[in-house]
Amino acid sequence: MNSLSIKQVFSRYKIIALLIAIAIIWTFFFWKTDGGFLTPRNLSNLLRQMSVTGILACGMVLVIIAGEIDLSVGSLLGLLGGVAAIMNVTAQLPLPLNLALVLLLGLLLGLFNGYLTAYLRIPSFIVGLGGMLAFRGILLGVTGGLTIAPVSEDLVYLGQGYLPTQIGVVLMIVLFALTLVLTWLRRSNRAQHGLPLPALWRDGVKVLIIGAVLLLFVRTLNSYDGVPVPVLLLLALLGLFSYVTTQTVFGRRIYSVGSNMEATRLSGVNVQAVKLWVFGIMGVMCALAGLVNTARLAAGSPSAGNMGELDAIAACFIGGTSMRGGSGTIYGALIGALVMASLDNGMSMLDVGTYWQMIVKGSILMLAVWVDVSTRGGR
Amino acid sequence: MSAYLLEMKGIVKQFDGVRALDGIDIKVKPGECVGLCGENGAGKSTLMKILSAVYPHGSWEGEILWDGKPLQANSVRDTEAAGIVIIHQELMLVPQLSVAENIFMGHELTLPGGRMNYPAMHRRAQELMNELQMPDINVALPVMQYGGGHQQLVEIAKALNKQARLLILDEPSSSLSTSEIAVLLNIIKSLKARGVACVYISHKLDEVAAVCDTITVIRDGKHIATTPMQALSVDQIITQMVGREITAMYPAREHAVGEVIFEARHVTCLDVDNPKRKRVDDVSFTVRRGEIVGIAGLVGAGRTELVSALFGAYAGTYRCEVLMHGKPVDTSSPLKSIRLGLCMVPEDRKQHGIVPDLNVGQNITLTILSQFSRHSHIDAESELQTIEQQISRLQLKTASPFLPITGLSGGNQQKAVLAKMLLAQPQVLILDEPTRGVDVGAKAEIYKLIAALAKQGVAIIMVSSELAEVLGMSDRVLVIGEGKLRGDFVNQNLSQETVLAAAINQSPATLDTPSPPQAAA
Repeated sequence: MNSLSIKQVFSRYKIIALLIAIAIIWTFFFWKTDGGFLTPRNLSNLLRQMSVTGILACGMVLVIIAGEIDLSVGSLLGLLGGVAAIMNVTAQLPLPLNLALVLLLGLLLGLFNGYLTAYLRIPSFIVGLGGMLAFRGILLGVTGGLTIAPVSEDLVYLGQGYLPTQIGVVLMIVLFALTLVLTWLRRSNRAQHGLPLPALWRDGVKVLIIGAVLLLFVRTLNSYDGVPVPVLLLLALLGLFSYVTTQTVFGRRIYSVGSNMEATRLSGVNVQAVKLWVFGIMGVMCALAGLVNTARLAAGSPSAGNMGELDAIAACFIGGTSMRGGSGTIYGALIGALVMASLDNGMSMLDVGTYWQMIVKGSILMLAVWVDVSTRGGR
Repeated sequence: MSAYLLEMKGIVKQFDGVRALDGIDIKVKPGECVGLCGENGAGKSTLMKILSAVYPHGSWEGEILWDGKPLQANSVRDTEAAGIVIIHQELMLVPQLSVAENIFMGHELTLPGGRMNYPAMHRRAQELMNELQMPDINVALPVMQYGGGHQQLVEIAKALNKQARLLILDEPSSSLSTSEIAVLLNIIKSLKARGVACVYISHKLDEVAAVCDTITVIRDGKHIATTPMQALSVDQIITQMVGREITAMYPAREHAVGEVIFEARHVTCLDVDNPKRKRVDDVSFTVRRGEIVGIAGLVGAGRTELVSALFGAYAGTYRCEVLMHGKPVDTSSPLKSIRLGLCMVPEDRKQHGIVPDLNVGQNITLTILSQFSRHSHIDAESELQTIEQQISRLQLKTASPFLPITGLSGGNQQKAVLAKMLLAQPQVLILDEPTRGVDVGAKAEIYKLIAALAKQGVAIIMVSSELAEVLGMSDRVLVIGEGKLRGDFVNQNLSQETVLAAAINQSPATLDTPSPPQAAA
């Protein structure tokens, strides 16, 4: 097999390349940690660690598909998490109100970023850079540089809680049923339009693999403490955002704005509004990530979310999102987040120094983007 | 020794089997200025790219003799070493650098250690400026402080500094004012006196007539005539430039023209980079229901600017009033225009037409996507139905609507862009160069479609650089020249010569047009 066809396979089935990468990384750590890496306990930890980056990556992938970038998300996450902690600890607000307020604040700050980018035409790179400093500054101001603790039990549950095992099993069954229904719907839809159908056995194998993964996933997590709440949240976001990007008008517009903004504008699409709302969604994701982060730490910390934007951006690019905008997937970004979290987690287990962790993560990011650029060919 | 400095013999250049140039001969004596004339797309630029070795030796057939010896240049560097320098239509200066730095770009004089030898460069630059009779220019100031005409001078100084013996000027006056053009023409005359030869490419035939000794006309890649200027009039040049037959490609006009449904008043567009320059200058016109109005003019005349301003897509500052069905309407953005039923198929398909990451079908439904959705959820089935209807209506050749649009041929991409705009149910449809980069077969199909739309009562505004196309399709022809409306002709026995004369002619008094411009009803 020549290198060209390997390249073609990889660029068409990016997901396969990513899964192979994960398999290699996991095997490597499994071998190095004498099996410790793949214990249910550690996998549960790994998924929880990944949840904050994953939530950010869900929003970031939309921003990047739309052809922009948001560097302020780490600081915004910290700020919103800090605000949640203050409202919880100092103001003792009830949790639902607290959540609503933090999410609303996230939306507003995201829209503000979007307004600066889309309507005032400040490059998003600069808006992000400014926000990165300003939001962190506000956070330091409101917390006085101190850690806000301890946050209430119900908030902590968001980050540290587990679903009862029975619910985990129910979840698995529901997801599997959903897979079956969606596959069947897709087949019947294609058949109706006389489109070529993939062989039945291929869809069957696909469904079986998904089923096996789900089973393994829930069994592994249940054999520890159950499905962690933030992981459930991440799964929900995966579903929601995949739906938005593939099935809705708004999603289609995000892709077309990022792919060719002028052509989209000339087709009568309000491209500024699309960008505005993409940033708005990014703000909400920052709020969610901030809440989960505060809950995980059981405290609001002035350094929370430091460098979070880089992890999120790296996750998107590793997950095959195009740097030029216009293409990318949610699941890709989440797998990218899983790669980053696996590296973090594995290297920590091996007691690799922080500086090595940074070097390795940086190199992996560059490697991933190089693969992306070289498989696209000279366009 | 040959009497000629340059002889190009039997130049043939093919692009993908299409002959862009088919046996061109051109000869230039030392100190002679040869005018190269031809319509848009006749092959002038291709010829000059061959001469300056943008297309290296071997990628074309024929022979170039330089000083009587064969010239085999592989890059622009080789031709510059021989003394052939081309000055492009777009100036290639770095605005922030000084005049002297620009003149010496790539050939800087240096001191040991790679330091710039500013004193020597300034001295030499000042000498060049004196030679060009422009001693007032301060060569240490940034180029951007000087106007277009002076910048053109800097380009010429740069060429002279390279010991140019043949200067190719490609549309040198397209961005200059009248007084700046006078400066330029004087300089060319003084260069001729010093023995420097020139090839002068311009649509502005009065300039060509003023400065050139010999005129070579090419048309559709073929050599038409080489004549001394004394033996020619501007009229004769125009006759040589056109003369293409209108073929049976164009469908018979059988649509009925109704009442005025679209009116543009006082459209004025300012240049994006240089707001002092008007790209479109107070143009007003009307279009009737079911009428095809062709907008002719030379490249850069302001046609695209005019129609994109009407559609609300012009990037610079502009003013215009648009009336539809007699009522003033707001067309300040494409979104608003499309809602009003005013749609545009843009000129640059790649930049403004297609969305490369979306597939064929998704490109087609971009404009009206929300019509298939309930609560933002896209009804994939009805979307696909519409897409397939459009694909068969326009005979768009694609194996599946799910294929990437970038894989289609130019003609089929254009059909997809057309389909996108047709779905928006236009009452007025602007087509900017609808058949550029489209093969002959697809062209005829697009013409048929345009005629069918007119029959349905759509008012069509078609900008085109192909005169044959304008005359073959239009009910009425508007001619734009240098941003102004130069003519409004009813397309009855209208000749290409009349249209081209209106487009080229700066001062109608100097040229007696074959038939006086006929005002439209």
